[in-house]
Amino acid sequence: NPEVSYFFFFFKHSKREIKMRKLDSTKLRPLKSEQLLRIEDHDFALRPGFGGSPIPVGIDVQVESIDSISEVDMDFTMTLYLRHYWKDERLSFRSNKNRSMTFDGRLIKKIWVPDVFFVHSKRSFIHDTTVENIMLRVYPDGNVLFSLRITVSAMCFMDFSRFPLDTQNCSLELESYAYNEDDLMLYWKHGNKSLSTDEHISLSQFFIEEFSASSGLAFYSSTGWYNRLFINFALRRHIFFFVLQSYFPAMLMVMLSWVSFWIDRRAVPARVSLGITTVLTMSTIMTGVSASMPQVSYIKAVDVYLWISFLFVFLSVIEYAAVNYLTTVEERKQLKKRGKASGTYSIDAVQAMAFDGCFHDTDVDMDLSFSDRCEENETRARAASIPNVDTTRMKRKRSLKGNVGRIILQNNHVIDTYSRIIFPSVYIVFNFFYWGLYI
Amino acid sequence: SHIYKKNHDITKTWKGKSEQLLRVDDHDFTMRPAFGGPAIPVGVDVQVESLDSISEVDMDFTMTLYLRHYWKDERLSFPSTTNKSMTFDGRLVKKIWVPDVFFVHSKRSFIHDTTTDNIMLRVFPDGHVLYSMRVTVTAMCNMDFSRFPLDSQTCSLELESYAYTDEDLMLYWKNGNESLKTDEKISLSQFLIQKFHTTSRLAFYSSTGWYNRLYINFTLRRHIFFFLLQTYFPATLMVMLSWVSFWIDRRAVPARVSLGITTVLTMSTIITGVNASMPRVSYIKAVDIYLWVSFVFVFLSVLEYAAVNYLTTVQERKERKLRERFPCTCGIPHSKTMMLDGNYSESDANSLAGYTRNQMVPEEEKQEKVVVHLTMSNESNSSRKRGLKGHVGLRIIQNTHAIDKYSRLIFPGTYIFFNLIYWSVFS
Repeated sequence: NPEVSYFFFFFKHSKREIKMRKLDSTKLRPLKSEQLLRIEDHDFALRPGFGGSPIPVGIDVQVESIDSISEVDMDFTMTLYLRHYWKDERLSFRSNKNRSMTFDGRLIKKIWVPDVFFVHSKRSFIHDTTVENIMLRVYPDGNVLFSLRITVSAMCFMDFSRFPLDTQNCSLELESYAYNEDDLMLYWKHGNKSLSTDEHISLSQFFIEEFSASSGLAFYSSTGWYNRLFINFALRRHIFFFVLQSYFPAMLMVMLSWVSFWIDRRAVPARVSLGITTVLTMSTIMTGVSASMPQVSYIKAVDVYLWISFLFVFLSVIEYAAVNYLTTVEERKQLKKRGKASGTYSIDAVQAMAFDGCFHDTDVDMDLSFSDRCEENETRARAASIPNVDTTRMKRKRSLKGNVGRIILQNNHVIDTYSRIIFPSVYIVFNFFYWGLYI
Repeated sequence: SHIYKKNHDITKTWKGKSEQLLRVDDHDFTMRPAFGGPAIPVGVDVQVESLDSISEVDMDFTMTLYLRHYWKDERLSFPSTTNKSMTFDGRLVKKIWVPDVFFVHSKRSFIHDTTTDNIMLRVFPDGHVLYSMRVTVTAMCNMDFSRFPLDSQTCSLELESYAYTDEDLMLYWKNGNESLKTDEKISLSQFLIQKFHTTSRLAFYSSTGWYNRLYINFTLRRHIFFFLLQTYFPATLMVMLSWVSFWIDRRAVPARVSLGITTVLTMSTIITGVNASMPRVSYIKAVDIYLWVSFVFVFLSVLEYAAVNYLTTVQERKERKLRERFPCTCGIPHSKTMMLDGNYSESDANSLAGYTRNQMVPEEEKQEKVVVHLTMSNESNSSRKRGLKGHVGLRIIQNTHAIDKYSRLIFPGTYIFFNLIYWSVFS
């Protein structure tokens, strides 16, 4: 049968070709990596030393950057080079020089690699531009160096009771997911020097105090003890931004509210609007601070400062209300007293002004019954005061006797005078306490 | 026989399947060309398509670029009569070796994949490969804001091989400084792109060795106009508005106080607005200096009026005490009437607007008032001596006028001087 014979001929040829091809490839250098590393025999589902003693895996970390710290989410984002070192006999190969061989990252799909994960991480990814950022380097004796570039966002519990004069301690934790202490021993390759950082790692808002590496054991009730490695770092917040943004404006607002004590107490609209506008500005500053903060259930250091400043500003408004009220009360008392004494008495034109809002150009005698028409009052007052001013003085002396009101009126001046000293000094004392306590 | 013939045909035709043509089955993509031998040189060529955004808060920039690699892989050479290159589908990349270039200090990056992976693979008959991709990368850039917004930022994008050290892969710019090209219409809204240039260096990693690193550097100069309109101009206007207070009569207490306070409030709002879109840095920025100095000016105008008002009150009290000692029916100084009812009055206290003087004023009083009026309007020393011997009060009233008068000159003068210094230092 010709077809059968041709078939046989074909097979003989192809076999020879295949055999020749095999012969050729074993002779050729460079060898295929898979043949070099005997990948077909390598079962990547089994760890090295399977069934035997735990395999030690060394870890080395180089932190490239800390991208951001978020107070609202209470997490941090870090980019790092994570390197694993372990020994896998199955990957050893013959070599005259002791040089390691670097392979393409896609080879890791075919060999066993440790399954390290980041405990308490929220999001993480291996960078994959232009190809997966993975390095695989195998030494002739089977030692493997496996390196990855990873960005991870991990949780950090933050305590804001001293915000913004606070220091946060955060840590990134590495652990094997499947293999517990009996199968895989995770350790820092060079002890405390395993952790290195890029030379210009810096954050805008924080000062990175120290990076340290530590290790511990973690127990899971269902699965056993695992080795856990910690990357700890402490961040100290720069106070300058908050001084400029919150403390300084608050201080200025408090000082502005003190200006009110120096303005004449008869200028009612001025003092009230000064007080109220400073309260409004303080309120705006406080809202601005809490916009970028998590809603915690305790009071923060900046809250303490802003609320006490707010209290000072508030008290200056209350102080002026008291001054104004006492002035009015005094007027009424004096009027009543005059009524009892059944005589006219002269009061200072100023007091008369505060009382009925009309202009008086001299000290006038006020009647109990006063009308809206200031001219009437004026004429009546003028008629009464036609005797010259000497009597005014005598009248004043007369009315002064036993008249406590006038003294209290003088004392309203006193409230302002005392406030001018008390408010600033108490505020300065508060500042001493505050900064002494928190710094 | 014709099966054999088919085999024969395939090996004869050069329009074979790509995998057979490039002998991909024999090609071990996990091993670089010349594995175990000298380092393979890989040339890099970049065409920047756009700078998408610069973020101050995150301190990074986003760039889209065409990244091209050039290297020679003997294993991919194929026989060809013409010297033409052959372009293959991007998916072939998965089966051959390609350099593993990555962007150092990048935060996020991706290869565009619409409508298919934006990858080009072109192989020349002698084994030269051109491998191109379109990438968007967000990379870190350390920014210095001490001169913000009159600043210039220098950012750089760094390329490096991830796995292969200097001994395995040599990364270099294919055409030296001309390897970096930009699209003609590359522009940013807030910045002026001053220059693009390339450099290359070696980077050392203690655990893994020396790597070739290529840099794409560019300098950005910020356009000041937006900040002029948004921040500087309103702040300047607020300061000028606070000067209006010196021209208003000092007896108008509510007016001057509320003018001063409202300008302080507006300055505070402007300051808060600027810091909203800025990172929280620990040093003072140029815009902070301007805003805070303006805030101090506005604050001082409020204090100035408090001083004026206080001195006026002190003066009044002194005058009142004096009047008690020297009996004279002097007219109340006009300043006092102002404070009480907020109405402006002429220097003659007798002619108050809205109040009619009655005719019951005794003649003598009127005359003395007139005398005092003349005294005050003339402001002559002699009359002062005559009517108000040893009376310091009048001088203080003159002095409170003087505070305002001086302020009208001092405040604008100092502010203009500050502006001259500021703009010459920072521009």
